[in-house]
This record gives sequence, structure tokens and C-alpha cells, in this order.
Amino acid sequence: MQNKKPVLTRRDFIRGTIGVTLGASILGFKWPMEEAQAAGSSLVAVVRDKNALDSARNVDSAILEKMLAQTLIKVTGQKNTKDAWLTLVKPNDVIGLVPTSHLNPTHDEVVDVVKRSLRDAGIPKNQIRMAQGRPHHPKKCDALIALPSLKAHWLTGIGTVMKLYIMYSGRPSNYHQSDSAKLGEIWNLPFVKDKTKLVLVDSLYPLCDKGPQADPRYQWSYNGIIAGTDPVAVETVCLKIITEKRNAIRGESWPLTPPPICVEAADKVYGLGTSRMEQIRIEHYGWEKDLLL
Amino acid sequence: MNLTLKKTFLFFIFTMMSTHVGATGEMMKGKRHLPKIVNGWTRSETPRLIDSKNIFEYMNGAGELYLGYRFKHLEVFDYISKDQANILVELYYMETADDAFGLLSLDWGGESVYLADLPLEKSNKFLAAPTRALYGGGLLRLWSDHIYARIMAQHASAASKAAVLTLGRAIAARTKHPPVPELVKNLPYEIDSSWKLRTDRLTFLRSHLVLNSVYYISHENILNLDHSSQAVIAPFERTSGSDGLKRCQFLLVQYKNLDAARDALNQFHDAYLPDYAKGLTATSTNAGPGLFKLEDGWLAYKLLDNFVAMVFDGPDQESARTIIQENESNLLEKGGIHAK
Repeated sequence: MQNKKPVLTRRDFIRGTIGVTLGASILGFKWPMEEAQAAGSSLVAVVRDKNALDSARNVDSAILEKMLAQTLIKVTGQKNTKDAWLTLVKPNDVIGLVPTSHLNPTHDEVVDVVKRSLRDAGIPKNQIRMAQGRPHHPKKCDALIALPSLKAHWLTGIGTVMKLYIMYSGRPSNYHQSDSAKLGEIWNLPFVKDKTKLVLVDSLYPLCDKGPQADPRYQWSYNGIIAGTDPVAVETVCLKIITEKRNAIRGESWPLTPPPICVEAADKVYGLGTSRMEQIRIEHYGWEKDLLL
Repeated sequence: MNLTLKKTFLFFIFTMMSTHVGATGEMMKGKRHLPKIVNGWTRSETPRLIDSKNIFEYMNGAGELYLGYRFKHLEVFDYISKDQANILVELYYMETADDAFGLLSLDWGGESVYLADLPLEKSNKFLAAPTRALYGGGLLRLWSDHIYARIMAQHASAASKAAVLTLGRAIAARTKHPPVPELVKNLPYEIDSSWKLRTDRLTFLRSHLVLNSVYYISHENILNLDHSSQAVIAPFERTSGSDGLKRCQFLLVQYKNLDAARDALNQFHDAYLPDYAKGLTATSTNAGPGLFKLEDGWLAYKLLDNFVAMVFDGPDQESARTIIQENESNLLEKGGIHAK
């Protein structure tokens, strides 16, 4: 009985002991605080343009290009796009772009505009490749640009950043249900760890309910990009936006269920970044309406 | 020798044909006939057929939802138009009408649609929105006998809505319209004029994954839910009092027998209430409800024959007790359980 695996329940969330139970559940009874990232401020850029999508939800690529430029400048503090990219990647890096193709897929236009921008920064075309899928994709890359879309998920609560690399595990079904808390461990696989140079979330047309299939009643034109170098901080900001949108739809508190334990675990168990809003600095640019932050 | 071989061969052919006819017959049973052309959209000749073996290839993790109910197979049709975006029709064939109802009950939001030939659920006072079909944003969801259908226009417009509703009518035409699951009917609509059931948040389910998507209890299956069980969860809201809105969740699970119910309740207690001693209630159907003051309010549970009734987030001990007792009385009255 002493060694019985602790069961994570609703009470852990109410008591705020999720981290303790998760740590015990995932790693045994060793509390992994020493592995957690040292507390510090993480910057997340939120760039929006009310004309990024038209009424038929077609993407205006010219506007998107400007939004990307602003995003890169905000995230890196550089004065132009080229310098911004070159603080994130090296000119000789093989760069893998990692969009999502399922349940509210990343817009093709987002991928295209990132590709163009990298090429304009001097990265040769043959060093930029699509890297979503099986583990051999990240193995061939020196740097990864994560390009998820903003969405809730019915098995993991949120299905945006942490879930993006699930195929890299080679065994995605192992991360469903209770084991979704372990999604962060994929980011620490030897062929993934430290390769993610930028997380750029396609937030043009997010999905705020869990699905499991997209329901258009829960999608809306946010017309944004959310980006940063701390994947957990970016996910935390995404979570805030989804939560606020859900509350606005119902006119009352409508928390994600099941709760997105992978986000707190990514912080407290896997040390991938911060999930604490007070440690996140949000830099907003552009359209203010219904920012939800 | 040749005769023996011939007989064996004929027997084999006969067996194969019988199996095939049987399987096809099973697939054809209750099959819906969709129009070839609807307002300018043309249907694909044959549907894509999805079963439990390839459902994850079709929809990834979303397949868990349908497998959480008693899923048989799925037919997928594409309706294509020259100048308008596609319409996707998904027909989920379930083993029982209860399972199809369960899928619709996951979300009662949207515009209630009354399709021709589809009676309202007037006989059932428990459903505030007496509906079997809901439309919103280009998506029509409907429950028709043992079928749950999703009909989605890629781009919502007046024209696509008309086509989607026409398809809905075709699916719902000339079929049986069974009532809501018996378990749902066991829930009292009101309790002492002070608690009202939120029927627009009522969900019928058989899986802990589905339960967690409605009201999170644990990532583990601590209530032992599976296809042999059925459950209904819905909030009760206090209609009287001046101290703000009070809401608690009520969960009623029906297991295949008393032993299964008792085991599930014991397991729940061990996982959810490890810091509380187990009372009589986790093992006996005779005692009063188990009552526990937790971080988010009062939790009450009671074993009622092969049912387990539970209240979460009760604002006070008395409310939690009353809700359990009223549901017990209702079950007794409706014959779900028997007086001791």
C-alpha cells in the first residue's frame, strides 16, 4: 500500500497539490523541484490585426507577414526580422517547422509566411523542412520552430503547445488519458531537448471547447499570433485566452475539463518553463478588442 | 476423396456466404438512405466505413469518445458543390438508442431544430429543451433511434443551412423515436421546490473519459465505468435563498449488479477520500448517505442496490443529504430499487 501510485483527483486541483501528486505519480516519490526551471520572467508576445482574416475567414498573407515581423521583434528585442531570426537560429542550422494538422490545423499561410521570413533572413531553402511526425524528423534538425494552433482538447484540456510533439514519442497513445501529464517528457527527449527556438501559436481562429471534433460554435476570429521562447509560458497565455473566452460564452465560470495538467507538469515536473502568470510578461501589439488577457 | 474435398469446399463457401450476408445484414439494419443531390450538393457514391479498428486513423484521439459509448460503426459521406464548400455527413451507428442519446447529451447548446417526422420529447419533462436535433455555426447534431449524426457545412450560409437541415430530415425520416434512457427519467426535476435540475447540462455516459470532459473527478477510472454501466450527471441549482447561486453536481451510476456497484464505491472512496474512514455506506445499502466535508463543499454518496448516487460541491451537509435522499425516493418510486 505504501508504494501505491497516488491517484490524481479533483481534490488535488482544489487544494493546489497537483504538482506534488503529479511528481509522485510520474516520477515516484521523489519531488522533482530541483529539476524545475529557476524562476524568472518569460516574455510572451501577442500580436493581433483585426483584418488578418476576412469575413469568409481567408487569411491576408500580407498582413500576416507584418504580424510575424512584429512578433519576432517583440520576442527578441531586435530591430528587424533578419536580426531577430539570427538571435534564434544559426545560419547553418537545419530548421524544422512543426505545425499541427489535426483538429483546427495550423493555417498553411502561417507556415508559408514563416518559411519566407526565414529565407529572407538568409536561411537557405534546403535547410528549412517540415518536421511534424515520427521521431526521425526532429533527429535531422538542429532547430525547431513550433507552429501549433490555439485549441482546447477533450482528453488533455488544452491541445496547443505541449501536445504538439506527441508524435515524436513514437507512441502517441501512451500520452492519452491520465498520462497526458507526461507530455512534457517528450520535450526532454535527447533528440528534441533544447532544439525549440521559437513557439509561435496560430491564433487566427482558435477553438475553445474540447471537441473532440471541432464545433464551429466554439471557434472565433481572434486574429492573432502568440509567441515566445518559453513553451510553458506561451501555453499558459493560450490557456488564459481559452478560459476567458469560455467564460464569456457561458456568462459564468466554465473551466476546462479535464484540467490541463500537462501545463503545470511541464513547469513543475519537467522544468520546461513557467506556468505562473505572475512570472510571465505579456507584450501586446495591435488590435485590442476582446484581447482576453 | 474428391467428394470429401468438394463437400468441404461447398461448406466453406456456404459458411463464407452466410457470414458475409450476416455481416452485411447487420450493417444494413437501420441503414439510412441519403439523397444523392441536395440543393446543388452531390453525395459521394459510397460512404467511407469506419469501425472501432480504424476510428483513430479517421479522427485520432476523438475516437475515444465514440468508443466510450457502445459504438458499432460510422458512415462518412461528402457532399460536394461546384461553387460552395463541402458538407460532411457522419452517421454514427450505435448499439442502442441510449448511446446515441448520450452523444447528443454532451452539449445541449445551439438552436433546437424540429425535423419533420421527429416528435418532440414532450413526454419527458426532464429535458427542458425538448429536442432531438441542434444546429449552430453550420453544424447539425441529431439523435435518431440508434444513430447519432453530425452534419457539418464547412462554411455556414443560408444555403448550406437549408441543405444541412434537408439532410437531417432524411436521416430522421421513417425511424423509431425511442424515449430518453430510463436512467435519465429517474432524476427528480425539482427537490423541495428549492433545488432544480439543470436539464440543459444533463449528460448520459458510460466512460470516465466522458465523465471527465463534463465534470472532472480523476484521470483514473476510479468509478469503474465501462460499457456494462451507465451514468447520468447533471447539476442541481438552488432556486431559493439570497446567498447567491448555489450549484452542486449529481451523479447517478447504474452497475450491472450490487457487487459491481459496491466495488466501485469502495474504489472511489479509497482514491478520492484516502483521508476519511470508510463508513457503513460504502458497503451497505441500509445506512444513510456518507457525508464528507471537502475543500470545495460537501460530498455525499450512497449505495442503492446496483446504483451509486453521489453529490459533489454540496453547499452544506443538509443539502447534500437531501439531494441523495430525494433521488433514492425517486428510484424507489420508479422501481429502480426496492425498499429494504
